[in-house]
Amino acid sequence: MVHATWMILPPAFTFKLEAHRIVSISLGKIYSARGQRGGLKLHKNLLVSLVLRSARQVYLSEPGCPPEPPPAPAGHPEEEPPPRTAAWAAEEPPPPPQDEAGRDCQGPRPRRCCCGENRGGCAGAPPPPHCPRKRSAGERGQAGSPVKKPRREEEEPPPLPPPPSPPCEQEDMETGNVASLISIFGSSFSGLLSKEPKGRRRPPLDGGEAAAGTAPAEAAAEPGQICCDEPVLRTLNPWSTAIVAF
Amino acid sequence: MFLKFSLRSNCFQFSGAGGGNDIQWCFSQVKGAVDDDVAEADIISTVEFNHSGELLATGDKGGRVVIFQQEQENKTQSHSRGEYNVYSTFQSHEPEFDYLKSLEIEEKINKIRWLPQKNAAQFLLSTNDKTIKLWKISERDKRPEGYNLKEEDGRYRDPTTVTTLRVPVFRPMDLMVEASPRRIFANAHTYHINSISINSDYETYLSADDLRINLWHLEITDRSFNIVDIKPANMEELTEVITAAEFHPNSCSTFVYSSSKGTIRLCDMRASALCDRHSKLFEEPEDPSNRSFFSEIISSISDVKFSHSGRYMMTRDYLSVKIWDLNMENRPVETYQVHEYLRSKLCSLYENDCIFDKFECCWNGSDSIVMTGSYNNFFRMFDRNTKRDITLEASRENNKPRTVLKPRKVCASGKRKKDEISVDSLDFNKKILHTAWHPKENIIAVATTNNLYIFQDKMN
Repeated sequence: MVHATWMILPPAFTFKLEAHRIVSISLGKIYSARGQRGGLKLHKNLLVSLVLRSARQVYLSEPGCPPEPPPAPAGHPEEEPPPRTAAWAAEEPPPPPQDEAGRDCQGPRPRRCCCGENRGGCAGAPPPPHCPRKRSAGERGQAGSPVKKPRREEEEPPPLPPPPSPPCEQEDMETGNVASLISIFGSSFSGLLSKEPKGRRRPPLDGGEAAAGTAPAEAAAEPGQICCDEPVLRTLNPWSTAIVAF
Repeated sequence: MFLKFSLRSNCFQFSGAGGGNDIQWCFSQVKGAVDDDVAEADIISTVEFNHSGELLATGDKGGRVVIFQQEQENKTQSHSRGEYNVYSTFQSHEPEFDYLKSLEIEEKINKIRWLPQKNAAQFLLSTNDKTIKLWKISERDKRPEGYNLKEEDGRYRDPTTVTTLRVPVFRPMDLMVEASPRRIFANAHTYHINSISINSDYETYLSADDLRINLWHLEITDRSFNIVDIKPANMEELTEVITAAEFHPNSCSTFVYSSSKGTIRLCDMRASALCDRHSKLFEEPEDPSNRSFFSEIISSISDVKFSHSGRYMMTRDYLSVKIWDLNMENRPVETYQVHEYLRSKLCSLYENDCIFDKFECCWNGSDSIVMTGSYNNFFRMFDRNTKRDITLEASRENNKPRTVLKPRKVCASGKRKKDEISVDSLDFNKKILHTAWHPKENIIAVATTNNLYIFQDKMN
């Protein structure tokens, strides 16, 4: 059912929605990377985790509760209820004449949600989406910071924004799941791993002529043997694999 | 020459008889399956000319290498250069299984690099994610005949039937091209190999994975030296990976490697055994007005190539090509936008994974033009002297030999002119990631998903 309130979304909500959507998509990518042939791609997953981090920060730092989050993440297109997709599409006014990167997204910028379209691949045209711009300098600084430790100490927003209104409650399961994963992610991986990954290994520096055929033993330790509690592992199934990969 | 100016933008397209330095590109050949249903094993993953340009090697996802050879120029056919025909095909890598990590190792050929020719045989290095192999490609056009103890088909003769002796002689036979693996360089990379580069000393080469770079001697397979290691002690602190590496074309102790953060480091192996500290760091400050969720992804460098002169290097990130002067670290000397109209589509491109596509780039023989690929089977060339650029399409529709390619134009927004393509109609499944330019001539090889196109300039 489409409520009339959908037509006028405050800008803060659009930021949050976008960020939430990106978080969902990113988690979907990390999840689906597990079964990839050839093993986990470190580069791609690193980039995805950086995007996830930025999106998470925006998501958690923007005020207010998001309205009903967009439909299921990228991995499950068939589960989206068609009426909702239609509702998203219906609310959109014609796209603006220009869609430049530098433009501020304040004001009722129309956005097309491509949740219903082109899930599996790039067939056809991607709709013109919009990514939030001009975040405050403080946010930008945080979003750009790659190191987890400072964030852990300084920024501790509540893991789950309080859901006062009915639309939020319905999606509690999904939001809660995502948010709890994010909060665990935010507190860094060390909470999950009981065994630190092996330290740096390299041939002796002096003389420099040491051979460095990488021993299989190092290869075995490498992408991090995970030994954490079974229940934690179970709830974090997709997530733990990302950690193992790193 | 007739110039048409577009009122909408500053780009212009030129037509008519070529004059001055303008190249008119013509279709020459296309290799590969015609049907649209692409077998995954046929996806081309690397393209490389050898040092003379006579040979053109491609690698694919199925682990095969196909080498094309240019025909000798026919004196009577002065209007076109020799065609490239299949010279040798061999299976370079097979899928493997790492039992220790329960991981399959893909057979996809990530890179091929030719060695300079020293004798009659040709040598190349090919690599997948974990193993590098040195292949010898040799011709056989004679075979010995007239053995005393063997029949011509190889069966052994009964010695008692031999009544006379003769000396075996070499007789001509149909040309046979054989590829044999001469060296296998394995077990040195924990992460996925993204680059190999042969040193100008022609004795050593480097291989780079996400976190380490190793130096090998071409004759020695059981050991390699680790020369760069950016793996942090705590993997949770990982913030960047190595994306490409290359030796300097003239200085045998200098190499560069690019990172996922958009930086390039130049290292000198004379400075220390482990080159973790760079000699130069090339980095351009980010434009804050372009900041988005995806800034980090699009700044990741997907390819780095030295110019033939060694004075410049070129980097490719998702939206642009940058030329750096090795003497200036704080910014590139030239920047060319490949498909700036995609900047507003980054969210969709992230969703459909296109934002992770790794485009390569290449120089022409004289370092005056650079080329790179884009989507919709478009590829772009930038003339560094005239500052002109052109967009061309690799398509079977233009497949009559010596058909001059028509420049293409993408309409970013607003009213679409005739013959322009709007951004929303671009086919993001058709991407050109790999291109190569003949070292001496204006002949280019452009790989679409599973086809290899060869274009030449129009010779009058």
